[in-house]
Amino acid sequence: MATALRWGKRLGGLAIVFLGVTFIIYLAVFALPGDPIRAFAGDRPISDSVVATLRAKYHLDDPLWRQYLDYLLGLFQGDLGTTFNGRPVADQLAARWPVTITLALTAWVLEIVFGLGLGVVAALKRGSLVDHGLLAVTVLASCVPIFVLGVLSQQVFGVKLGWLPVAGVRSGWPVSYILPASIIAVFGLSAVSRLMRGAMVENLGADYVRTVRAQGFGEGRIVGLHVMRNSLIPASTYLATDLGYLLGGSVIIEGIFNLPGVGNLLFESIRSHEGPTVVGIATALIVVFLLTSVLVDAIHALLDPRVRRG
Amino acid sequence: MKLSIRAGLGVALAAALSLGLTACGGDSPSDDPTGGADSASIVVATETIDHLTPGNHYSAYIAILSLFTPLTSLTQDEQLEYQQAESVTSDDGITWTIKLRSGWTFHNGEPVTSDSYIDSWNYLAYGPNAWVNSGQLRGVVGFDEMQGDNPTTKTLSGLNKVDDLTFTVQLKTADRQFPFQLSDGQTGLYPLPKAAFEDLEAYDQFPIGNGPFQMATAWTSDSSDIVVKAYPDYKGTKPALEQITFRPYQDTNTAYTDVLAGNIDVAAVASGKNAIAQQELGDRLHTLDAPGVDLLGFNPNDPRFADVRVRQAFSMAIDRAAINQAIFSNSQIPATSLTSSSMPGDPAGVCGRYCEFDPAGAKALLAEAGGLTGQVVLLYVGGWGQEDLFQAYANQLRQNLELDVVATPATDFAEFQERLQSGDYALNRARWGALYPSQQDTLHSLYTAAGDGNFAAGGYHNDEVDALLAQADAADTIEASFAIYRQVQERILADFPVIPTFGNRYLWACSERIDQVPSAAGTVYFARLTLK
Repeated sequence: MATALRWGKRLGGLAIVFLGVTFIIYLAVFALPGDPIRAFAGDRPISDSVVATLRAKYHLDDPLWRQYLDYLLGLFQGDLGTTFNGRPVADQLAARWPVTITLALTAWVLEIVFGLGLGVVAALKRGSLVDHGLLAVTVLASCVPIFVLGVLSQQVFGVKLGWLPVAGVRSGWPVSYILPASIIAVFGLSAVSRLMRGAMVENLGADYVRTVRAQGFGEGRIVGLHVMRNSLIPASTYLATDLGYLLGGSVIIEGIFNLPGVGNLLFESIRSHEGPTVVGIATALIVVFLLTSVLVDAIHALLDPRVRRG
Repeated sequence: MKLSIRAGLGVALAAALSLGLTACGGDSPSDDPTGGADSASIVVATETIDHLTPGNHYSAYIAILSLFTPLTSLTQDEQLEYQQAESVTSDDGITWTIKLRSGWTFHNGEPVTSDSYIDSWNYLAYGPNAWVNSGQLRGVVGFDEMQGDNPTTKTLSGLNKVDDLTFTVQLKTADRQFPFQLSDGQTGLYPLPKAAFEDLEAYDQFPIGNGPFQMATAWTSDSSDIVVKAYPDYKGTKPALEQITFRPYQDTNTAYTDVLAGNIDVAAVASGKNAIAQQELGDRLHTLDAPGVDLLGFNPNDPRFADVRVRQAFSMAIDRAAINQAIFSNSQIPATSLTSSSMPGDPAGVCGRYCEFDPAGAKALLAEAGGLTGQVVLLYVGGWGQEDLFQAYANQLRQNLELDVVATPATDFAEFQERLQSGDYALNRARWGALYPSQQDTLHSLYTAAGDGNFAAGGYHNDEVDALLAQADAADTIEASFAIYRQVQERILADFPVIPTFGNRYLWACSERIDQVPSAAGTVYFARLTLK
């Protein structure tokens, strides 16, 4: 009973968050200056009659509340709206999610493997040249602007060496995703490895480790079973939240590497003031965020029995 | 980072089929980027494509040009050439008779007849259909009656079918430039088969045209490739290519890198990258003349610019040659008239000393007009990679006229237009890409009240200009029209409503396999492209 109530409250909260966020996004797009239809034409000729008809077609002359209400009604009927190009937003999302999800998961796995690995190495060799070296390299790498790293890697691995494709997804996974995912992962690496190292160092000096060590367990078992598991909590929180961000797509990386993902679709639709498309994507992203927050809770419970009982 | 093709390379509002063949040197053995599957197959980078229906697209010109054949086009020496049309004739310039070549078919085997044109034009002109290229028919009798929410008719009264291969078009006023309006760039006037009207959505994904290439597979998502292959029953000049893949790129810089890596055969290059591209590509960089012009407009409601001498002084204070060198590495053409130098009959030099850099003269002229106080805001569109260009304009005006001039970006085109409307600026960026190879298009669009680009030229209009334009349009011969269009330009420039800055040229990066790069208004004309 208590559980049901808790979940009911939680779902109600989610609905309020959902309504609030979609409305704010709609408001933000609505408030962008200028006429989206004329902007769509740009320098190219468009007659007043066409502008008027298209404005009517996309309900741009309606007041904000009306547009939003229409949008919500459509949403409950499973209609995410259409883009100015006349393509259903749902189809666009369906075509683009796989790319973004593949990219996000690839980058995420790289972050986990290398981030946690480097963190453990740094913690075990704390104070050594390796520790300081790892700190310097990861921090430096994440300080380089992401597009510089992207363009540089294209020049080196795509043009000069010819090992990997410059852009696009035609070579499939993993070849097409190695460069962009690595670059995204570089930016999460320093945080993950720092968090892991910090927690490890703290736990290595904890009382329970001393007790375990006094009981005569081997160093491998102490680090592997006890210290690492307990040290995963901060890094895993970060990683789960990061997955939420990654699934939102990276506008810059998707642009540079010509990956037809969600991030780029979002960017383009903000540029063309397409309220329904922006809100459609944002809605999907909110759901992903909410799901990852559930995931964070679950991982916490798994790693920390106190959370499970509390 | 995101560099809109619209900015430097211009909208492919194309027109002239000036076959400016530029030879691609380099004798190195050809390298097949497609992996040797088919030697006559190339991959071309494009901007994101919106629609493939010729009457309703903005950004697909490069692909649509390969799928359709226009009624007319222009030869290398700027002579009108009939394509799908056998002849386009008129006695009075008002009623035009279009005869079609017989035996031509659409890719589905359906013959190209007068109905293919009449049906297509009726659909295009009908206001509620809201096809974006509908304005291309505005000169035809009956067009106005088809606009608005509930037009009474769905057919253009100015069109009359004579027989299966002949139809007549009645224009509102005498217009001898009409045959030019039927050329490549006015894609709205391409014919549509009956199949198109059965399912327009399906047609947009799998357009059936009358051109040298046909769709190989349907185009399903705006991020997917568009693949076209040679149409075996094509009755016009057979293309040298077997297959073309148009690949959308979000960022022109990435497409360029893919040319360097050998993955792409043809890609547009931003004009600002000319120097580096020349260095990296050598003679694989092709520069094609385009019918577009860059301008700076004035705020018509800013009293400081009411005196024509102030506007002229601003123009004289801009060192076009220095900007061309510094920003475009000399790839563009400093303006000396209101049209680009590749436009037939362009009255080069008609702008005279007001388009020549003369800082002392500019300062004197400004002083004579009583000077100018306060800040001058030069408004441009941000995010198009043109920051350097507009900073350079502002710097030159600031230094040469000793005024407080700042270049300010609008966040995007929508905000730019909003600020033009609200009057929150002094000078604005402006550009016009002509749709067909006649000065008519540029002059009508920018300098008449009804023109689509009139907002960018400060809403300029003048009855004398309108009268002269009507005369020029009605002139019996092309030579006679050139003389009157020259007078139109002189009359406009007497009012000096804009600062002409540059005539456009588009840059194209090519792989080593590409031999000749023929141009259709600055865009690569693939039907005539040859490989080594």
